[in-house]
Amino acid sequence: MTRFWNAGRNADAIFAISLLVAVCALSILVPLLWPLDPIRGQLTATFRPPMSVVGGQLHPLGTDQLGRDLLARLGLGTAISLGIVLFASVIAVVLGTTLGMIAGYFGGWLDVVIMRAVDIQLAIPFILLILLIVAVVGPSMLNLIVVLGVTGWAIFARVARARTLEVRELEYIDASRAIGLPNFAILLRHVLPNIAGSQIVLLTLDLPRLIILEASVGFLGLGVQPPTPTLGNLIGEGRSFILLANWLVLYPGLVIGCLVVGCNLLGDWLVRRADRRGA
Amino acid sequence: MKALIFIANRAAQGIIVMLGVSAIVFFALFLTGDPAALMMSPDASRAEIEAFRQAMGFNDPIWVQYGRFLGGVLSGEFGNSLRFQRPALDLLLERLPATALLACTALLWSSLLGFFLGTIAAVRKDSAIDFAIRVISLLGQAIPVFWLALILIIVFALNLRWLPSSGIGTAKQLILPSIALGAYYLSAITRLVRASLIEVLGENYIRTARAKGVQGWSLVVHHALRNALIPVITVQGIYFASLLGGALVTEIIFAWPGIGRLAVESIQNRDFPVVQAVVLFAAFVFVVVNFLVDLAYLWLNPRIRL
Repeated sequence: MTRFWNAGRNADAIFAISLLVAVCALSILVPLLWPLDPIRGQLTATFRPPMSVVGGQLHPLGTDQLGRDLLARLGLGTAISLGIVLFASVIAVVLGTTLGMIAGYFGGWLDVVIMRAVDIQLAIPFILLILLIVAVVGPSMLNLIVVLGVTGWAIFARVARARTLEVRELEYIDASRAIGLPNFAILLRHVLPNIAGSQIVLLTLDLPRLIILEASVGFLGLGVQPPTPTLGNLIGEGRSFILLANWLVLYPGLVIGCLVVGCNLLGDWLVRRADRRGA
Repeated sequence: MKALIFIANRAAQGIIVMLGVSAIVFFALFLTGDPAALMMSPDASRAEIEAFRQAMGFNDPIWVQYGRFLGGVLSGEFGNSLRFQRPALDLLLERLPATALLACTALLWSSLLGFFLGTIAAVRKDSAIDFAIRVISLLGQAIPVFWLALILIIVFALNLRWLPSSGIGTAKQLILPSIALGAYYLSAITRLVRASLIEVLGENYIRTARAKGVQGWSLVVHHALRNALIPVITVQGIYFASLLGGALVTEIIFAWPGIGRLAVESIQNRDFPVVQAVVLFAAFVFVVVNFLVDLAYLWLNPRIRL
């Protein structure tokens, strides 16, 4: 008899995908369809608790210190945070995979230099490095994307290198070399398709780290500047009012939680599936 | 002999890493082109900036400046804090005990509980208890430190009024920050111990021990746990970095006067010598911890000593 806690191998994945779809829906539908302004508030309706009605207008998640509708701000904030994290992860994956493939394929001094750079990158606490760079170049959305992306390459490089070392020994790579295919073409057409799968799985597992990092920077007030909402900004601003209006902190945190749980479960499921296929 | 080469190799790698970090920390200030303008207040006059630039030696060739910076770091001289006009290292060392206390408390309770929960989950794999432990550890990794901290304050400090929400000095004040900081680590340890122990429990030598009549907790503690420790120990170094990051946010929320708060305040006040000192110090601790992890790995896994 199966019980609900081992209800089949794919239950995890279905749950994870529903969480992620729900958050994505929030970030797309609310900014598009919800009529209330996330930036301009109504100073006569501050700190209204969830489900309160002001002048015939329902505020499902309540309002903040400036009378702004929290649902509108949460929708836009989630969209902005997700945008930052996704663009940053693209930079990290492309940079890390390229350098990792080069290190693994060519070996020699290139390998040594790139792998030591990975060690150096991993030795600096990410949040400190990001805060340092943002303090120097100034906080803006573009700067944040670039900094998060460029500092996130190391783990992708390490895994891409390990996989490339395996793939390099395969016979069809020898064959490609024998027929005179240039290294660049071999890497792009024969190595990359082989390691892409594991890089995508790694990305799923690394996204939570980026989501929490971006939120932490926003929480500390060094991310995208107010009044633009992000998940971290919302919690950072709400922090001053927790005695008065704990919903300002509660709901953005729940969205972060859903995102991270969703990514982690999905990533674990992808790893298990890859293991079963390999076995 | 092989062990000595391994140790020397890892030590050399640590030194290279520290050199690289020092270069990053130094050159980060030149990202905008002019560190003098960066460090001075925005309303400083042109002449003031020029005088400051002269005093700090920013007119010298950049390699000369890096050499001077590196020489200073090696002799424990990070320059003066721009805000307090005191050596940055002194400020850092003053804040060190507070951070060490918080981090060690968080590490201690979370590893002990994590080992306990992970072992139970592995031994009772696929039971309701295993499911509950897995859910808890999944949530622990999903909740950002700062959010958990605020929820703890709302519940235990504001509503129940059981514990203070800020400050340092009494044991009571240590409870909430160390829970907030340790939660992520607890989840990580629980998951690692569970996964690792499940793998070990399927090995041949465990079956042999079972066949010889070893049973129950004796089997787990004497035969399985030691081998299950190896993968758990080897990833400690990586988790340690996230602990440092978490300490930063935790200290801000609970007004804990440690290095993390010093770092954020210095960044907000553009007090770059202090920021440089903190980043270098954090990287140094990371490198040392990873070196110790390598030594522990050597000790736990005799196969690579041969």
